[in-house]
Amino acid sequence: MIKTIAIVGSGTMGTGIAQAAALAHFDILVYDVSAEVLKGGMERIKEAFRKGVGLGQHTATEATEALSRIHPRRGFGDLSEADLVIEAAVENLDVKKEIFKKLDTIVAPEAILATNSSSLSVTAIASLTKTPESVVGMHFFNPAPVIKLVEIVRGAQTSNETVRIASGVVTKMKKTPVVCRDLPGFIVNRLSRPLYGEALRLLSEQVASVEEIDRIMRAAGGFAMGPFELMDQVGIDVNLAVTQSIFEQFSNEPRFRPHAVERQFVQAGMLGRKTRRGFYTYK
Amino acid sequence: MARTRVCILGESPLVEEYASLCLNKGFEVLLRMDPQGAKGGQARIPRGARKVARPPRNVNLALELTNISMESKRKNLVELDAVLAPRTPIISSSVTVTVSEQSAWLRHPERVVGIGALPSLLEGGLMEFASSPLTEESILKGADQFAKDLGKEAAHVQDSVGLVLPRTLCTLVNEAYFALTENLALPDEIDTAMKIGTNWPFGPVEWAGRIGVTQVFAVMMALHRTLGEDRYRTAPMLRKAAALAGFDVRIPAGNAPSK
Repeated sequence: MIKTIAIVGSGTMGTGIAQAAALAHFDILVYDVSAEVLKGGMERIKEAFRKGVGLGQHTATEATEALSRIHPRRGFGDLSEADLVIEAAVENLDVKKEIFKKLDTIVAPEAILATNSSSLSVTAIASLTKTPESVVGMHFFNPAPVIKLVEIVRGAQTSNETVRIASGVVTKMKKTPVVCRDLPGFIVNRLSRPLYGEALRLLSEQVASVEEIDRIMRAAGGFAMGPFELMDQVGIDVNLAVTQSIFEQFSNEPRFRPHAVERQFVQAGMLGRKTRRGFYTYK
Repeated sequence: MARTRVCILGESPLVEEYASLCLNKGFEVLLRMDPQGAKGGQARIPRGARKVARPPRNVNLALELTNISMESKRKNLVELDAVLAPRTPIISSSVTVTVSEQSAWLRHPERVVGIGALPSLLEGGLMEFASSPLTEESILKGADQFAKDLGKEAAHVQDSVGLVLPRTLCTLVNEAYFALTENLALPDEIDTAMKIGTNWPFGPVEWAGRIGVTQVFAVMMALHRTLGEDRYRTAPMLRKAAALAGFDVRIPAGNAPSK
């Protein structure tokens, strides 16, 4: 039974997961190496709960109770009571390896260690622990309190029991778990690559303009947003980094090859909505 | 005013889908279906449509909706070209062969306009057209009117295999079949992930069922042939699914991870 969840990293993903888990009545320990980041993270959680009440996502009482279940922790050793640790640190394999090596010596042998990584191998991270069968990927999507999907990533050595428990936690958070193997990009990031790849190629081959491709995908295909609108929203640099990572991890498989067009936008600093210029111009 | 008379040739289920919508919108429909495209059972002729052995001369518009057999497509187009008055427009699917390539088969190529026709896509609110450099302006206007009569927006794109939506959807389905080949996840979980995780209207495996794997396979083969890029090669499991399309075979779950 999972009662206490420790979350390593109090950035956007870590705090988002903390909120969703606290609302599902788990006790939460939030850890960060930086006292300042941790403080900022706790502030963001409070603010998000306050906004959630305003939007009718939960009652004020539920928010107050959930907030009381979230405890900031400065010492790694303070995470020893966790039944499940969800690592949501920066997307850097060396950093994650260090964290998992330390966690391995701190938590109870039966505890489950999860990584929220979207692009790194769960199998590689698990290999550094004494109990790789208890290590699993739990890939939440941004914004974590809103998106209902969590990819449960089964590493080469992950046990069925670990997958079952992690899926159960996700279900208790009123989210939908989907189980997948540990292959680059998992399901969503990988299977959405061709949507962007084809749009960029159609554009560079002059088959249709940015506006026309988006209009066709929305009006004829039923997509809520066109591929260029989506790239502008996500960030062209972020989208390129995902493509590049999947391309490299699949040993330069041509299906995932990044396109010169997106690289040029990144070189120009036209990254989408966040820079007010991307495939579209924003005021 | 007399009803618009349209002659529809091609394969199932595209012919039935277009015939149903045209009948619905008050067109008079004459059709001939190529049995090759029908998967397994009998194609159903929509009520009100008339089957013809050969296309009649006096129609306002002809549709050629064959994507799989290029031999049938060419035969149908050559027949239409010979029978119809020279200025009668022919709207021909161009998802597996470009309008330009089709033009080379005809005596009156200026009357041909391509359309992004794949099963189930008529449920959308837009029709995608492509033209060759030979296509006449009046024919493009005719295509716009046809879309309007059917209650759809129109978009005109350059002549390229698969146009925009069919090319994109088939490539999405193909990637999902690579994932299935590699046993990444169960088919249902893949669909769930894409619908909930990234807000797609359908999952890629669902799309494969709606469009039909033989159609997807034909589009991918055509993209691979015309663009010559490795990124369009077909997934092994898509190839097998297309070969077995006439049979009731489920995607093997293999030893996919379970919950």
